[in-house]
Amino acid sequence: MATKTKAGPTKYEISINGKVATVVEDTYLLKAVMDAGFNVPTLCNHKDLTPEGTCRLCLCEVEINGKKKLVTACNYPVRGEIKVNTNTEKIKKHRKNLAEMYLGRWPNVEAIQNIAKLCGATDKEKYKSDITDENPKACILCGHCIRACSSFVLQNILGFAGRGITRHLTMPFGETDPHCIECTSCGYVCPTGAIQVTDDMNNPADPELIRRHGMKINAMMATLDDVQNRMRQVGTANLVEVMDSYDLLPVHNYRFGRHKDTHKIDSKVMKSRYFTQGAADGCWEGCSMACAKAVDGFELKTGPYKGQKVVVDGPEYETAAGGSNMGGFDLDFIVEYNFYCDTYGVDTISFATTMAFVMECFEAGIITEEQTGGKKLNFGAMEDALECLHEMARGEGFGVDVGQGIRRLKEKWADELGADPGFLNDIGMEVKGLEFSEYVTKESPAQQAGYALAIKGPQHDEALLIFFDAINNQIPTYEDKAEALYYFPLFRTWFGLLGLCKLIWNDVVPPDNSKYPPNEATKIPERVEDFQKFYEGMLGEPLDEKKMLRQSERVFNLQRLISYYLGYGTRADDMPPLRAIGPATEEEYISREERYDKQMKEEIGIDPEGKSTGEKLAITREFRYKRYNELIDAVYKKRGWDNNGVPTVDHLKELGINIPEVLSLLDKP
Amino acid sequence: MITINNKEKLEWHEGMTVQDLVDRMGYVVSIITVSVNGQLVQKEDYATSEIPDNAEVNVFHLAHGG
Repeated sequence: MATKTKAGPTKYEISINGKVATVVEDTYLLKAVMDAGFNVPTLCNHKDLTPEGTCRLCLCEVEINGKKKLVTACNYPVRGEIKVNTNTEKIKKHRKNLAEMYLGRWPNVEAIQNIAKLCGATDKEKYKSDITDENPKACILCGHCIRACSSFVLQNILGFAGRGITRHLTMPFGETDPHCIECTSCGYVCPTGAIQVTDDMNNPADPELIRRHGMKINAMMATLDDVQNRMRQVGTANLVEVMDSYDLLPVHNYRFGRHKDTHKIDSKVMKSRYFTQGAADGCWEGCSMACAKAVDGFELKTGPYKGQKVVVDGPEYETAAGGSNMGGFDLDFIVEYNFYCDTYGVDTISFATTMAFVMECFEAGIITEEQTGGKKLNFGAMEDALECLHEMARGEGFGVDVGQGIRRLKEKWADELGADPGFLNDIGMEVKGLEFSEYVTKESPAQQAGYALAIKGPQHDEALLIFFDAINNQIPTYEDKAEALYYFPLFRTWFGLLGLCKLIWNDVVPPDNSKYPPNEATKIPERVEDFQKFYEGMLGEPLDEKKMLRQSERVFNLQRLISYYLGYGTRADDMPPLRAIGPATEEEYISREERYDKQMKEEIGIDPEGKSTGEKLAITREFRYKRYNELIDAVYKKRGWDNNGVPTVDHLKELGINIPEVLSLLDKP
Repeated sequence: MITINNKEKLEWHEGMTVQDLVDRMGYVVSIITVSVNGQLVQKEDYATSEIPDNAEVNVFHLAHGG
């Protein structure tokens, strides 16, 4: 009987050898059979590879409406109520015959001998012939290597050539393909040892260790990415719709967290109408995640290359969300500003966040068409925003001002136009002179600190805690948040020390990750161990969490020291603007009035009843800055910094940073 | 009443399933793991797994940056 609910997958009750089993629609029959406790011999099946039905050993009899047929169980999707028999006399005879044929061709290959035993085949002579291969490591044409090269690392270098008895494994034109990056995926899946891995590289201490953990990740990437983050399909763009769902997508200079037009710029549209290729993005060819995407043949509508068709590298999430931040819910706009930022050498995040600030100032009347050179820079003014970018590149017009960034624009407009510096500081999303990247942090104190404490300014490379904090509530206390703000910046920047991409760390999460308690699960312990093994396999030195963090902590503190010396490394420099930690305008407060009023009552202990929006804004502001300061008190302490956010001499010496010239950076006047 | 992630409270109703909760809260299924009173619920069982009254539900999202 099929059970179908209005949401959720269809399930079927099927019978396997007389035993009833409930199976989700489209599950391959082989899995259903094995889950029900029955064994079926297989040769070309591999747990990490899509099935191909090549060896024909897994044939089972399937009966539908009284009609019987034989199917290869490995790639037969269950789509109805079927009666299955895995071991009829006909099937047994067929399997034995097949196994005898395999045995005749490759009598000494262990995998073949095992199959023969399972199928009751013992006669090596029956099918012996001129093409019998006595090699115990012969290639048995199972095709695992071809499928691994394709699905693990997306390289399609291996293939079969020839038909019938001449069929053999090869690379294009029978030559060693220069695109082969020697990832050893083929060796990993080869059941006979026909593919030998000879290590000829830069002398890692234990290549087998690296391979073991690396292959496990490659296999997980091939089997799980499609149902988790879909990085292979759409890169980081899948975050657009995710962030919008959780009210975290920056809209109109971070005033709001979602918008009715987000569906026009989400990953579904990008995939169906824009992305044409995956493209290695200055990262390793043959990466099993291969998340970088590109758009081919995009016709530009503005600027010096107007009318030309170009390849655009992206857009990634940040660039797309920069679009929503500017009110530009149009992928043609987003792809175009992506292209020109790349071409001009301008960061898309800095451009988008600065433009969003400019637009809010324009709508608030702080700047007018007099300053903008006639441009009406309301939110969503995409053409005029692009013109600002072109002017910036040409070094003329209002675009030059935009190119100064938010910090300098705040000073300029307060000075020259008499703008209220308090308001500009509240809505200007920058810390340490760097513009915020594209997450709405109002409800996540941990992310506010993750951004504002970052050494170079509010970039999310150091700590992306917004989900752990605001949505999952996995770090509820100050201590939890302070621990996360100690651990994650150090852990995440560890990848930078080694020149490794950190996205592999949390793209595919092992299925049993939830067995760990919540604040451990956020670290994805199995994957951390994988990277520790890579290190050990490379350098011959075991690594644990303490050592890993210590490596990072030395560099992190040195950077903070330099930052301090340059005038960016104290508490005053770690302060976020009001817009990052709460509502900055009455419009924002009213847009989420129920939430803020509830918080006022429950967290602040003040009854919002009878108070004006202005009064409530002021109360919320005071509370949130107080809360933020209390949090960074705890973080500074955990990091071994003084209450002004400066590393103490004792802590630096404890880290082994005790060169007098370096310590003297603390003595700046 | 059920509690989500030790924080949010939600009205319970007879026959409430995990799928009902997901639909109501707008969770993105591909990035969540759900456990009800400490028991992990597989995605294919969301539509048929009932949440008892006073349950503690954990909905953990794992999302990277980009």
